[in-house]
Amino acid sequence: MSNTDYAGTLTEEAARAALTDFLELRTKHVWEPATDLFESGAVTSIFAMELVVHVEQTFGVTIEGDELTMENFRTIDAMVAMVFRLKAGARRG
Amino acid sequence: MVDALAAVLAETVGQRAGGWDLSGEIPEDALRALGTRGVLCAAVPAEFGGQGLSALANGELTAHAGVLCGSTRSVMTSQGMAAWTVQRFGDDKQRVDLLGRLTGGELAAVCFSETQAGSDLSAIGTRIVEEDGEIVVDGRKVWATAAAYADLLLVMGVHGAGAAVAAVPASARGVTVEKIPGPLGCRAAGHSNIRLDSVRLPKDSLLVGSRLPMAMLGTIALTYGRLSVAWGCVGMLRACLAAGTRHVRDREQFGRPLADHQLVARHIADLYTLERTATHACERAAESWDRQAPNLASDAVLAKYVAAGNAAEGAARAVQVMASAAAEDGHVVARAYRDAKLMELIEGTSEICQLILARRALEDVP
Repeated sequence: MSNTDYAGTLTEEAARAALTDFLELRTKHVWEPATDLFESGAVTSIFAMELVVHVEQTFGVTIEGDELTMENFRTIDAMVAMVFRLKAGARRG
Repeated sequence: MVDALAAVLAETVGQRAGGWDLSGEIPEDALRALGTRGVLCAAVPAEFGGQGLSALANGELTAHAGVLCGSTRSVMTSQGMAAWTVQRFGDDKQRVDLLGRLTGGELAAVCFSETQAGSDLSAIGTRIVEEDGEIVVDGRKVWATAAAYADLLLVMGVHGAGAAVAAVPASARGVTVEKIPGPLGCRAAGHSNIRLDSVRLPKDSLLVGSRLPMAMLGTIALTYGRLSVAWGCVGMLRACLAAGTRHVRDREQFGRPLADHQLVARHIADLYTLERTATHACERAAESWDRQAPNLASDAVLAKYVAAGNAAEGAARAVQVMASAAAEDGHVVARAYRDAKLMELIEGTSEICQLILARRALEDVP
C-alpha cells in the first residue's frame, strides 16, 4: 500500500479503516478507534516504531519534531487526526 | 560513491589497525579526516551535508570498515547513530545545525547505558529538567562508545513522564568523560564512562521530537545502531574468511595444504556460511530500511542477532584454523575474536534480541 492510493481523496473513514486493518493484522486484537494502544500492553516498542513507519508510508507524511509524540499514536483516532493535520500543513507549506 | 568512500577508509586506516588495537587509541586526526570526508555518517542526506547513501550502500561501507578495523567501525556506528537520532528527533533548525557539525568533522557519541540500566532502559536515572528557560542534565553514563573522542554527546534521560535526548557538548561545564582503560574488544573505540553534574544548556539542546516513552525512543535510535553493528560483524567475518582461506591454501602439514584436510575444510565451509548468512540478513534488513517497510525494526534485530552470533563463531573458527599464526593481539583475526564478543552484548544483547524475535514470532500466530 502506498500513499498514492490516497492521493487527494483520503477520507477520515478510509484512514481509520487502513490503520485498524494494520493494527489488527499485526496484533491479532480488535481495536476501537478510541482504545488506548499503549495501555493495552499489546504494543511493544518495536511495534511502536513499525507503527510510525507504517503511518508515514501509508499516508505519505513525515512525522518528526513536535508531532512525534506518544499522544499522537495513543489511539487510532489520534493517529487519524495527526495525519490530517500533517497533510493540511504540507498543502499550506 | 561507496567505492570512493571505501578508498578513503583504506587509505586512512592502512595497516595501522593492529597498532591502534595495541595502543587503545586511534589518532584523532585520522577520525576527523574520516568525518570531514563523509565516511563516518554517510547516510546523512546531502541537504544536511552528508553523502546520502542508502542503508544498503552505507551497510557495505560499514562492512568495509569492519574488515579493516573494528574500533574505527565502532566510531562509525556511534557517529551514524547520533546523526540518525538527530535526523529523526530534531526539528529543522537542530538538524541543520547538528548534522552540519557531524558531517563537518565533529565527532559524536550516544549515551544510553547506566550501571543500573543496560538492557532495561526504563531504569535510567539520568534526569533532564527544564529550569529558568534552560535544561539541566544530571546523571552517570557508562560504556558510551567513541565518547573519548566526541565533541558532542547525545544523552538519553528521564524527562517529564517519559524520556528525551539532550545534545550535550563534551566541553560543557559539569561534563566529565573517563575513558575505560582496557575494553575486551574494539579497544581503540574510545569507550568511556561519563558524569553529568548539573550541566546547564540552552533549551534548544533538547531534541524536540525525542520526548517519547523510553522504550520507543531507545528502539528508534538503536535500530540504526543494530543495523550498523550487524554490517560491522559482516566485515569481521570477511576479514576472518580472507585470512583463514589464505592460510589453509598456503600452509602445508603432513605433506599437503591444510585445505586438503577435511576437518580443516569443514571450518572453512562453516566460516564461509557464517559470512554469507550474515550478509544476507543484513541485506534484507537494509532493503527494508530503504523501502521504509514497517518490519525494518525487527529485521534490524534479526540481522544484528544473526551477524553478531556468526561473527563470534566465525572468529573462533578462524583462530582455530590459523592457530599460532593468528593468536597474537593486534592480528586481524585476534581482534575479530575479541571484538565479535562485544558485538553480542551491545545495541541489545543476544538474549534481548531473542526476546524481541520470540515476541515477533508469537505475534504472527494466527
